[in-house]
Formats: sequence, structure tokens, C-alpha cells
Amino acid sequence: MKESLLDIICCPLDKHDLELTVEERDEEDGEIVEGLLVCTDCGEEYPIEEGIPNLLPPDMRE
Amino acid sequence: MKGQEWYQADAVAEEYDAKRFSKGGRLIDRREKEAVLNALGPVEGDDVLEIACGTGRFTALLAERGADIVGLDISEAMLAQGREKARRAGVGERIEFIRGDAARLPFPDDHFDTVFAMRFFHLAETPAKFLAEMARVSKRTVFFDTFNDGSLRVLYNWALPMGSHLYSRGDVERLVRDAGLGLAEEAHDFVFPYGFYREIPNAVADPIRDVDTTIGDNPVGRRLASVSYWTAEV
Repeated sequence: MKESLLDIICCPLDKHDLELTVEERDEEDGEIVEGLLVCTDCGEEYPIEEGIPNLLPPDMRE
Repeated sequence: MKGQEWYQADAVAEEYDAKRFSKGGRLIDRREKEAVLNALGPVEGDDVLEIACGTGRFTALLAERGADIVGLDISEAMLAQGREKARRAGVGERIEFIRGDAARLPFPDDHFDTVFAMRFFHLAETPAKFLAEMARVSKRTVFFDTFNDGSLRVLYNWALPMGSHLYSRGDVERLVRDAGLGLAEEAHDFVFPYGFYREIPNAVADPIRDVDTTIGDNPVGRRLASVSYWTAEV
């Protein structure tokens, strides 16, 4: 995921902004490969795994 | 196996494109791409969201034409394939893949110019909820396809691995209205359903497709069409 995606996405539950923590970036293009998105309102956490943010609401995650 | 589980299995994702869009399936692929491009018009610079993007067949197509596109899907395996494909094709710059729930989209109201979903509504158990959510995040166009009640598709529908929901014209009109949208355009095709094309070799598929489009071009044929493409406006 590119950092600019943060301007678009929000918490699927309450639509508030998300805060990004980067754990690993792609060395070539700087994309975020691993990280965490946290809702600034409800505190729900959404992981970024292998470059793809998982914004499934908690009740739909396995 | 339920549709949602079937769809998310790794093995299904890996074979998805090869299985669905080889042989006669390539005619389906071509027609679907044409339907998307017709409905969306020029997309250069547009913000587009694809719901249930799968391995990104349309996502990549639209990125190549200059759209900034987000592909959302429930399946991790499908998205991983899509991301890999987009990067290989050199269109990764314009594409983002997101795992999410189509009924609770992680986007603000009225963000996208166009929101579309192909091959999604026949798997949707709560279509009204999904369409309303697509309408919420779109400021202009919502485009989707349905498989039709009263078509030859009824004949083999029960045999599919995933449950398939067929729609009547009235169903679609109601869905569109309830989502606060207005129907702007529609197209109907495939008197012979997809499952049939997938089973036949290329050499036979072409002439049959000719017959199909000839029948489909008159009012009776249109009523028999197994697939409809619907363009709605906010």
C-alpha cells in the first residue's frame, strides 16, 4: 500500500481517520509492506499484510 | 461449500483466471471488459472503486487507461494475485488493493467518481445493503451486472459450486431506487449462459456467439438474456 492511500481510507465501522504505523517498507518503491492502521476514534486495529491493508471489520476476520 | 468459502480458497484463486477465461470463456472476458469500458467512459484521472475485484481483471484494465483505482475484495488469496499481476504489468502506481467488507466500506461518503462491481451481485446475500453502500461512496456513477431470472441460466444454476442469485428486472429497479440511485443505461446479453461458453472450444464458441448476439439483438432475445449490465447515477 502507498502512504497516499491514507487520505482515502477510514475505519469501516465509524468512518473516522486511521493512524498508520509502518513496520516494513519495500526497498525499491517505498510502499508499505507490513504495518498497522489504528482508528483514531474507536481504537480498532487493522493490519497491513504483504502490502494489502486488511480493513475487514473485526467480526469478519478469521 | 458456501460461496464465500469457495471463493476465498487459495486453490480457487490460483486457477481462477485460467479456468474461467480460457476456451469460450475468453468471449465472456472480452464482452465484460467492453461493458465496463462503455459504462465508465473515459476514466483518465477519475477515482474509481471496484467492489469484489478478485484478481483484478478490470482493475488493471482501467489503470492502464489512466484511472486511479482501488480494488476491494474479501479474499486475501485473490488480492495477492491481483497485486502481483498489477506490479508485473507496471500499473501498480495507479492501483491499490484493499481487503474489506462490501457492506461496510472503509471510505468516506461521495469519494469516488465511479463505483462498480462485476460478477458480484449473483453471490450477494444482502444486495440492497451492498448497493446502498456503493451509492454512498460514489458521487456519480454506480455500475453492476446481474444474472437473470427467466433465462437459460436457470437450467444449470443449481449445479454451481456457489449459490447463485438470479434477478428479475423488477428486483433491479427496486434495488436501484432503494439505494437512492436512478437507472441511466442498461444492456442485456448472453442468451447462452456463461457456463455453456466455458465448456466449448474456441472454434465453436465464435460462431455460436454470433448466433447469440443475433438473437439477443431483438426484443424476445433481450428477454432471454442471461446477463444484464446496469448503469445507475447518483
